[in-house]
Amino acid sequence: MFLLAEATSNAAVINWHTVFFFVVAALSCGFALAMLFSSNIVRMAFFLVISLASASGVIFLTGSHFVGAMQLMIYVGGTVVLLIFGVMLTAQEAFITMKTKAGDWVLALIVGGSLFALLTQAAFSVEAWHSTDYQQDLVKEVEKFNKDVIASMQSDGRAELDVEDRKLTKEERVTLSDLQKRIRHGYPELTGQIGLALVGVRTDQPSVEATGYTGYLLPFEIVSVHLLVVLIGAAYLARAKKRSAE
Amino acid sequence: MEWLTPDILTEPVGLSHFLAVGAFLFVTGAVCMATKRNTLGILMGIELVLNGANINFVAFASPYFREDNLGLDGHLMALFVIVLAAAEAAVALAIALNYYNNYATIDVDKANELKG
Amino acid sequence: MGVPDQILPILLGLAVLAPLASFVIILLFGPNLGKQGVGGAYVATGAIVCSAILSFLAGFIWLSSHMPPATVHHHDEHHEASDHAESKQHGPELHGSLEQDSHFALAKFSEEVEGDESGEHQDEEHGEAAQHDADADDAENFIPPVYTGHWYSLGRFMVGTPYEADVSINYYIDSLTIIMFCMVTFIASCIHFYASGYMHDELHEFTDPEVIMKDGSNLVRPGRYHRFFQYLSLFCFSMLGLVLAGNIAMTFVFWELVGICSYFLIGFYVERHSASTAANKAFIVNRIGDFGMLIGLMALWASLGTFNFGDIDRNNDGTPEEGLFSLMRPEASNHKLQAPDGMVALGAKDRIEELVLKAEDGTTREELEDDVAEMIPVWREGELEEDSTKYGYTLLVIAGLGIFCGCVGKSAQFPLHTWLPDAMEGPTPVSALVHSATMVAAGVFLVARFYPVFAPEVLFVIACTGCITLFIGATIAIVATDIKRVLAYSTVSQLGYMMLALGLGGWTAGVMHLVTHAFFKSLLFMCSGSVIHAVHTNEMTEMGGLRKKMPFTAYTMLVGCIAIAGVGIPSALGLPFGLSGYYSKDSILEQAYSYMIVNPIMGSVFFYAALGGAVITAFYMFRMWFLTFAGEPRDQKRYDHAHESPKVMYVPLVILAVMAAGVAWPFFGELGTEGDTYGFGLYNFIEQGRPLGLWLENDMASNHMFSDWLELSWPHESKSHAANIKGPVGLMAIGTAILGISLAAAMYLWRFLNPEDARKAFAPIYNFLVNKWKFDEAYNAVFVKPTHVVAWCIATFDKQWIDRFLESLVFGTRRISGFLSTYIDKLCVDGLINGVASRCYSIGHGLQKIQTGSLRQYVMFIVVGTITVFVLLSFWSYAIAQ
Repeated sequence: MFLLAEATSNAAVINWHTVFFFVVAALSCGFALAMLFSSNIVRMAFFLVISLASASGVIFLTGSHFVGAMQLMIYVGGTVVLLIFGVMLTAQEAFITMKTKAGDWVLALIVGGSLFALLTQAAFSVEAWHSTDYQQDLVKEVEKFNKDVIASMQSDGRAELDVEDRKLTKEERVTLSDLQKRIRHGYPELTGQIGLALVGVRTDQPSVEATGYTGYLLPFEIVSVHLLVVLIGAAYLARAKKRSAE
Repeated sequence: MEWLTPDILTEPVGLSHFLAVGAFLFVTGAVCMATKRNTLGILMGIELVLNGANINFVAFASPYFREDNLGLDGHLMALFVIVLAAAEAAVALAIALNYYNNYATIDVDKANELKG
Repeated sequence: MGVPDQILPILLGLAVLAPLASFVIILLFGPNLGKQGVGGAYVATGAIVCSAILSFLAGFIWLSSHMPPATVHHHDEHHEASDHAESKQHGPELHGSLEQDSHFALAKFSEEVEGDESGEHQDEEHGEAAQHDADADDAENFIPPVYTGHWYSLGRFMVGTPYEADVSINYYIDSLTIIMFCMVTFIASCIHFYASGYMHDELHEFTDPEVIMKDGSNLVRPGRYHRFFQYLSLFCFSMLGLVLAGNIAMTFVFWELVGICSYFLIGFYVERHSASTAANKAFIVNRIGDFGMLIGLMALWASLGTFNFGDIDRNNDGTPEEGLFSLMRPEASNHKLQAPDGMVALGAKDRIEELVLKAEDGTTREELEDDVAEMIPVWREGELEEDSTKYGYTLLVIAGLGIFCGCVGKSAQFPLHTWLPDAMEGPTPVSALVHSATMVAAGVFLVARFYPVFAPEVLFVIACTGCITLFIGATIAIVATDIKRVLAYSTVSQLGYMMLALGLGGWTAGVMHLVTHAFFKSLLFMCSGSVIHAVHTNEMTEMGGLRKKMPFTAYTMLVGCIAIAGVGIPSALGLPFGLSGYYSKDSILEQAYSYMIVNPIMGSVFFYAALGGAVITAFYMFRMWFLTFAGEPRDQKRYDHAHESPKVMYVPLVILAVMAAGVAWPFFGELGTEGDTYGFGLYNFIEQGRPLGLWLENDMASNHMFSDWLELSWPHESKSHAANIKGPVGLMAIGTAILGISLAAAMYLWRFLNPEDARKAFAPIYNFLVNKWKFDEAYNAVFVKPTHVVAWCIATFDKQWIDRFLESLVFGTRRISGFLSTYIDKLCVDGLINGVASRCYSIGHGLQKIQTGSLRQYVMFIVVGTITVFVLLSFWSYAIAQ
């Protein structure tokens, strides 16, 4: 946030957040396109790795550090490696490059293009699709508060006091705590909250008390069992079998 | 320095930029699924689709863009999507290997036994 | 010995159930019991022997409880017991009462000397009579000991109404029951043993010599040894159940069971046409009688609302439900027969309606019922001024006649006697059983059981029937040449004797003849079976001289012949002693004589018929014996083949011969003393069961019957034992026996008289007799032929009209249904269904093309679908926004 605040505070300064966003977005989309148009399965897998890793950068840029880390670890480190295993297991000469007919390409691109148009249109039709003003308003409020406090301190003589002895008035304390609360709300320090939410405690929304709405313990458990089942099922499905036909 | 700092680099990015990236990945994945004849290619397409969707979740959960963001729910949803994608990948890969075992090919166009 | 009223039902009940158990076992496991089912014989014989042991045990318990000497103390005990058990059982002082009877008789007819002992008993009897009715006649004080009880209620209908029907399993045990049990089980045991030898042919494949197949060979079939014993067991069960039955519903059920068992057994050789016909004949003829019986039973039930014979205290609360007998002969009127209130009410229905119509307004139902109850005795006696009809009495007579109808069928009385000789088609042990202990005995037993119900008119009918039957049976037996047929007609004749005795008021005489006859007739049949077994023919003309070959059979049969002929020393000679038939036949003749004294016209008919029958009986029995065993063999081949039967067959013969000789012997008391009729023996035992009220002067007194043209009165049976009757009758009886025997000897042993000459001399009569009085022909002409004609007419009508009508209906229906089928079903219904189906099929077929199985295409579809939904949604929201 400070990065953002810093960047936004100076209008003419290059917004590195934006820059990094465009970089990782370009990488992600580009390698996705490359994967799409590559017909070599091995290359496809490689491009996918890069694309997904870049996507994790996009996620980092949204402030979701934990999810981004998971994206890197699970996708790039796990799933795609799994896929690459699959590629290697089936990588016979005939299957490495499989061309698709041009008609299919055209059709798919038309349909995909229209879908993309639709989705983009929907994405940019979101209210305040461009960055909203509330961050800047908040910064301005903080600055204004700072100025007010300094001004009031100077006017009532608190400024002469030692730094340790300077005290805020009651009204100022209320305003400050309100500001701090609003700032903290957007603070991306969520890893601990995610962990607590997974065991059923919501720290970000203590006011919500409705039963069944608070935590994610049950979905977490379901997903755990699901993974176990998948593990067994995958092992069963992929086990070596004697070909009865041949 | 003005040329170094075009508007596009100085203006902060908004929610819609992220949604656009997610949509692009989604469409790329879908088209990938529609065009690849290799089973594993299709799997890769699926991964892309899921990733695009995931970016949407994460973007909506981001505190940078909107005051009324999804917050923790979006993050958790994204996490579950990742986990399910992993599970899906494992099962799909197993299916693909099985298919390869049984038919000695991984061309999905050959797998048309369900043809009416 | 314990309390008889608890032990006796258990013993006798078990005795009934044992043959049933045997039947069930053989039914289920018959062919598996030993080789070829030989085990069936052991099971059945074991069961019936078991029953016999139980029955005799019951008999001993009975005798130990109801035997002289009578003491006051003994009597009190019994009163306590009866109070406790609340059964209709009183201290029966048999000996004492018998003394009373004889004393009573003597007082009336002759002033004979009384023994001191009897005097003492008389005093005792007086002592206890004081409790009962001090002024009543001594003879009235004897109450036969009876145990009644309730075992299981199958169902109660219409509870609380006068027509309450309680279908239950009851028992009614008196001395008649005990005697019948002992007799039936004993004889049946002997027959079982005998049959296990006689039927050994059935143990292996049986070649029936009388059934010739189309190709000229004889029928060969698997043996049916176990099945025979299965039927025998069921037969014994039915008969014992009938004897023990305590209500008319149960009686009827067992009655029909006896009938069906006889049907099975007579038709045992079912492949022989004659056997199956005979079985059908027996069954159908019995149905005729049973129809009447059903009417009688319904008349009783409808008017009395109870099925039970005796009073049964079901709740043990001291208020027994009144049974048939106590309703018919209420204690209040000294057990005199009267139409019960229910019958009177039923008979006087019009009168009751009149009463109700005449009643003033506001009369309650209770008051009306009281009025009716008040009027019932008046109606019963016909004491109204304007109307002297005895209401209800007709119903009483109808009930009695109906029940007697059943007995006519079962006991083969005229006119339904024709089935019995044909029943000879069954195996000989069956004939023995049917003719002695079970089937025909059932009819006589039932008459004896229902005796309290019979009005004098009914008794007269019974006597007439018996008289005719005994004469017809005896005459046909003279000319029969088939050894079993002789015996069969002899049975008919003897049954006539029994009925005659019962009809003339000789209850004891009739029952006693039933018992003694059972013994010697079963003996005779089994002997004849033994002979047939040896020579393989029934025709006496092919026998002769067999006594050298088969001595056991010959001499046991001789004993039977002497017994049935009634040979004995008449009492006039000072020492009355003889074989069993002597006692029973003499008491019948005495009763007939006694009746003749009171009613000179009808009585003499009965008496001389009985006497003539006795001559003929002696004649044909000895004719049979001489033809079979004496003289020279007439068929040398058969004679050579003959042999004595195996031990298992002749030992029962010997036992039965002993019993036939001695069953009626008076074992206790003084023989031949004047005033003491027989001492204690079978006679007294039977006497103990004599129904209440039969001793009364007023009951059997003169009755005007059939619109006053006939006036009859029934003498006491006790009177017939007076010396002035006993003397001449005894002499006459022995005279008839000797006459008959010597005639037979003259014709067939010594050949003084040539039977051929006699036959030629009486040719018309002979032919008439050989044709069995042409009963079968007459029935054929009177019933069967018209039935055939009527049936032919009906059949023609059926074929010509009903069938045509039906066929046209069928034709029309087929046309209509064909039309419906073609145009509605096939066109509309099927068309609709088929149309829907084919439409579905074609749509599915069309959709099938989309189903390419290509995964990539599906992805395309999904994407296109998503886009479409988006576009449509956006259009829609745009439209709404507009």
